[in-house]
Formats: sequence, structure tokens, C-alpha cells
Amino acid sequence: MKQRTLWSAVLVAGLMATAGCGSAAGPGSPAGGSGDKLVVWDWKSGDAKAAGYVEKAKADFAKKHPGVDVQFVAQPFDQYYTLLGTAIQSGKGPDVILFNGGGQIRDRSDALAPLDSYVAEDRQRLAGWEAFSKAGKVYAAPVTLQGHPFYYNKDLYQKAGLNPDAPAKTWADFVKNCGTITEKTGAKCFALGNKEGYGIQFFLSAMGSATLTAQEYDDWVAGKRNWTSPDVKRIFELWKEAGDSGLNNDGVNSTAMFNDEFALFQSGKAANVIGLMSDVGHWKDFAEFIAPDKIGVMQAPVVNTAATPSLPYDGGIGYAVAKWTKDPKLAADLVRSLTSTDALKTFYADGGAITSDTSIDVSAGGPSVKTIVSEVKAGKPALHVALSSKTLDLMGRLSQQLLSGSTTVDDAVAQLAASDTTG
Amino acid sequence: MTDVAPPSLSPSGLAAPTTGVRPQATAPPRRNRVGSRAERLAPLVLVAPAVLVIVVLRLWPLLLGINFSFTGDGDRNGTAVGLDNYLTLLDDPLFRTALGNVGLLVLLLPVAVAIPGLLATFIHLKVPGHRLYRGVYFFPAVLSPVIVGAIFTLLLAYDGPLNSLLGGLGIGPVDWLGDPDVAIFAVVGVHVWATFGMALVVFLAGFATLDSSLLDAAKVDGASLPQTIRHVIVPGLSRTIQFVFITTMIGMLTSMFGLLFVMTSGGPEGSTYLPEYYIWTQQGQMNRPALASAASTALFLIMLVVGLAQIAVLRRAAGKED
Repeated sequence: MKQRTLWSAVLVAGLMATAGCGSAAGPGSPAGGSGDKLVVWDWKSGDAKAAGYVEKAKADFAKKHPGVDVQFVAQPFDQYYTLLGTAIQSGKGPDVILFNGGGQIRDRSDALAPLDSYVAEDRQRLAGWEAFSKAGKVYAAPVTLQGHPFYYNKDLYQKAGLNPDAPAKTWADFVKNCGTITEKTGAKCFALGNKEGYGIQFFLSAMGSATLTAQEYDDWVAGKRNWTSPDVKRIFELWKEAGDSGLNNDGVNSTAMFNDEFALFQSGKAANVIGLMSDVGHWKDFAEFIAPDKIGVMQAPVVNTAATPSLPYDGGIGYAVAKWTKDPKLAADLVRSLTSTDALKTFYADGGAITSDTSIDVSAGGPSVKTIVSEVKAGKPALHVALSSKTLDLMGRLSQQLLSGSTTVDDAVAQLAASDTTG
Repeated sequence: MTDVAPPSLSPSGLAAPTTGVRPQATAPPRRNRVGSRAERLAPLVLVAPAVLVIVVLRLWPLLLGINFSFTGDGDRNGTAVGLDNYLTLLDDPLFRTALGNVGLLVLLLPVAVAIPGLLATFIHLKVPGHRLYRGVYFFPAVLSPVIVGAIFTLLLAYDGPLNSLLGGLGIGPVDWLGDPDVAIFAVVGVHVWATFGMALVVFLAGFATLDSSLLDAAKVDGASLPQTIRHVIVPGLSRTIQFVFITTMIGMLTSMFGLLFVMTSGGPEGSTYLPEYYIWTQQGQMNRPALASAASTALFLIMLVVGLAQIAVLRRAAGKED
């Protein structure tokens, strides 16, 4: 009996002793593909719309580096960052990684190799680098641009007796027009889905340039965010007012943005929507239901006369190189092939994405896409992209509370300020 | 083990060198020692595979996870931070909501057990169409939570069929999945709908062991249905009821992720968070794996306490019966 206890004690003691030494967060050991093989992780290459793009990029890379095997692994987007987190923890994984711009890549920049020296030649040709940079270093090359144009349904404006080619310039006029549209056509002002808390992000970025002064806007993006400024507070007040005064569709907090919100806009149940430029919820998606020439893109209606509205946009998705890859130069060359003009042209034509290469001719896409591309030059980084994932998550929940009335704007802004300063 | 005395301590073993008269006397113990050593090692060798599987695949990762929960995230990756992660958890209103929801699930457990129990009773009492109901009730149990979630997201949408129906009855629309006070009940309700078929089958199996003469006797004595249920069926099925309680509890705490993910994404206002969903968000979305480990450890401890409490209750009840 005594001996049995001894055995167990030795077993447990041994386990405990070794448990103390090991850390699951050990330093990443270099691994990844071998010298003549590169592994790419993304959530795009499995999509039929991106097949042509991937082919073009592969061909371009094969010309420069014949004999290097490139393998694309398409992961499900739902679990993408979970899988990537596991790979980063173990310090092993793909050589080239697709990222969303903003928080998603900045939070993981420790695991990536800076690309500045490899992509210097592309800096002028491509737009949207800011979203893939941290502390002055670039970690990925932008493929698409992602932003939040203010779309409107010209048909509904026309039916309500408004001039579809002269949308409201100020917030007051915009709300007045919405009243007319709802009265005449029964359509709501905004299509909005905030189930996941994304609605507020789009709203913040779209209305930001029409509410903040240029100085406040630039400070925000640069990380000097003044949450107590009346202009910042005004954006959240607008969000609450829009909900309280019935501008939004019903059941905002249980409506999914993808794709119930956009379905409401496409089916003419709402006159305006703050959408996207690329991938989904954008001009190409809408054009399947609304004639392309009936989709309008307007500047955000001015709230503060000291503000100048501009298109909020950033690099949307971009390819990064993992720190643990054997030959960063080779991997960076693959990234350059993935952002070559030819490949991006195919991505625009097949997938309807506004790519980072703004020299691509988009005139065939209809008036809305032309307006968007023309606004890119004067555009600025979106406000919400500058926030950490933690603050965005909190903002999503607070935005739901603002709509349901269980918190006040003052309290919400105070909580966001606290979250933003602690990182 | 106990029937063979350890040879080194046997009196003959100690006595042999001192007397030196009967050298043979040491031989049998020596043989004994060899035999008993094999005998002693045999059980260890035999249980080794099972122990190794448990230790290597269960306990070891568990200890690594617990160890990991005392390290930091982001800039502090890999450095020991003591109880910081646990303090962060306690300070996070979202995690507190998640724990509160666990408590709510425990409170709702009797309802989740009563529904299949009652329906099984009706089927056992052969209400008209009981054969059909038996199949129909079991049907949702074969659907994946994601599909169930998608179906009910459509049904419970603000402009969905259920609200149209209520509107027709003159009742105002309810934002089933958008109202923080209602959403968790909507999700639990759907979970019960989707899983009660399995409990129903267990109950029906329990009924098969019920002595039908007792039911007949109750009928002859003129017992009403509630009286029959209270005095005949519930005492007769106490073991089954306990089993269903435990399995339903485990199901509620561990397999609601799919439904939450599809139906509410933890919202609205974070009101439908459960620890599992919290862990997933922190690890995958917020890139804070160490904090997620701390939350996992906390969830493990909760499950351990709940599990031990249930075993205790089960043991006491079983002792009373047998």
C-alpha cells in the first residue's frame, strides 16, 4: 500500500516539476517550407473569383524563380486567425500570410518580417500601405483597398421626387430627404445590421470625416485620440439619434451585416447604406439587384462646418512574410508577384475588388466605382482601423447598448477612452 | 498486493545470516522475491498504456495549459505574470456575464429535464399518435447546431415568421435575438428544442423498466394523471432522471458554442456570452491566448466542481435506493 502511494507521489511530482519548466509560449523556432517551397495561407485562393488572380501571380513568380514550388492553402475565414494564432504560438507555419489591414496585422507584427527593403519599388504604385505598417515599418503589401463609401439608391430618391444626382450635402438636409423618402416610398433611411457590432465601425469611419476637423482626424489616426472632444462625442450622438428617430431598419441589433443589411439595401427597403469598396457589400454586389447606373455614391453629409468629408479607406487585405521563413527575399518576391499590376487587374475584373493599384482602368464598372476610385486620392485612413481589436469589440457592444438605451453617450465614450489608453 | 508479505521484511530473510545453520532457508524467499517482483510489476505494466494515454494526452496538456495561463500576452509573451490574467478575468464584465450565464443555465436545468420527461410520459401513456411523436421529437437531435441555429435565426428575425404570427394575434414584435434580456432565453430554448430528443429516448428506455402493474394499480385506485406522475412515475424513474440531469447539464455547458456563434455572436451587448465563446474570442479574435488559457482553467475548475457535486448527489441517491 505504502509503495503504491509512493509511486503516485513520484509520478505527480515528476509531472509538476517538468510542468514548471516548459512554457507553451516558447520562442518560435525557425521552420516553415524548405528552400524551394513556399507555403501561402489565405482565405481567398479557394474562391472561384480569385482563381485567375492566383494563377497570374503564380505565373509571374514562376518567371522570376523557376523551380520554386508555391502552395496555396485556403483556410476558412471564420477560423483563420485562430489557426494562425496556433501557428504563431508554435513558431511554425506558412511563409506568406494573407492579413486584414489594421489591428489584425498590427497585433501579430511580432511574428512577421519587415518588408521595407524588398517592396521599396512598389511604394509609389500601390496605395494603402498605412494599414499594414506599425512603428514606421511595413509588414505586408496591400492587395485591395477597403473603405466605406456612402451608397444610395437613386431609384428611391427619384420616386420620392428628389434629384438623384444632387444628394444632400449637410446632415440636416440628409435627414430631411430621408423623411421624404420614407413618407413617399416606405423605405427606411439606413440599412443597418449591428448584430456583430460592425455597424458602428462603418458609421464611425463614414461620418468621421464629416464631423471631425482635419486636425482632429489626423491626430486620431496618429494615435492621439481625444475622446472627450465634443466632435468625437457628436459621432456617437449621431449614431444614437439615428436609431432613436427611426432612420434605421427595425431590429438592428439582431440583423447581421453580412448579408442581411446589404440585402435590405439591394431590395430597396432602405435608401442608404454605408458599404464596402471590395469583396462584399459593394458596388459589384449591389449591381446584381440594382442597375449599376442607379447606385449612387455620395460624400458623407457634413455635420460640422469645420470638417471636410473624404473617403475613408485603407489597405484591405495584404500579404505578409512570416519571421520564421528561411529565405525572406524569396518570400517577399512572391508577395511582389501577388501585388503585380497584371495580377491585380485580374482580381479587379473577376472579383470586383478595388485594388491597391489605382492606375487600373475601372471605367467599365459603372459610375459608382468611378466615383470611388476618383475619391481615393483625397481619401484618408478610416478611423476605426486605428483602434485595437479589443477596443473595437467593446465599441460593438456599447453601440448595441446605445441603440437599446441601456447606456449613455457619455458613459460609452468614457469606457472607450479607458480601453483605448490601456491598449 | 497485501496477501504477499514483502520478502525483505520477512523474519526468515533477516534471520538467515545470523544463524547460518540452514542456508536453504534463504532460497525460498529469494524465489519468492523474483516471483513477487514480477507480480508486483505486472499490474503496473498492464495499466501503463491506459495511464500513458491519460497522462500524455490529457493531464500533460492540461498542466501545460494551466502553466501557460500564468504567462503574458503580446509584449509579455512567455514571461511569467503571476495571477495577472486571472485578475483581468475577474475585472472583465464580459467574463462575469459569461459566468452569470452559466448560473442561469443551471437554474434552467429543471425545465430542460422536465420537458422531455413530460413528453416521454405522454408517449408512454399512449396518447393518440404517440408513435408519430416518438419519431418527430427525436428528429432535431440529428441536426447539426449550425443548421438549427441558421433555421432559428430566420424564424426569430425581427421581420421573421414568428413576429408576423404574433403581429397577427395583436402582440407587438419581440426582438428575440436583439434584446439582451430575451436573447439568452431564446438561445437556450432553441438548444433545448434541438437536444431534448436524446433525453426523451433515455426516458423512454427508463419507462421500459417501470413495473406496469404499478401503473395499472394506480389506474384502478382512481389516481389522476398528476398523482400518477408524482407518486408512481417519478419515484420509479429516479435513476433515469438523475442521469438525464447530468447529461443535460454537460450538454448545456459544453455544446452551445455552435448555436451562439450562428444566432447571436455573443451579443446583443455581450449578453449571451458563455465561457466557451469567451475563450474562443480571446484566443482567435483578440490574439490573447494566455488570457484564454486562464479562462479555460477557470471553466475547467467550474466543471470539476459541478461534476463532483453531481457525482456526490448521484452516489447519495444511489445509496438510498440500493
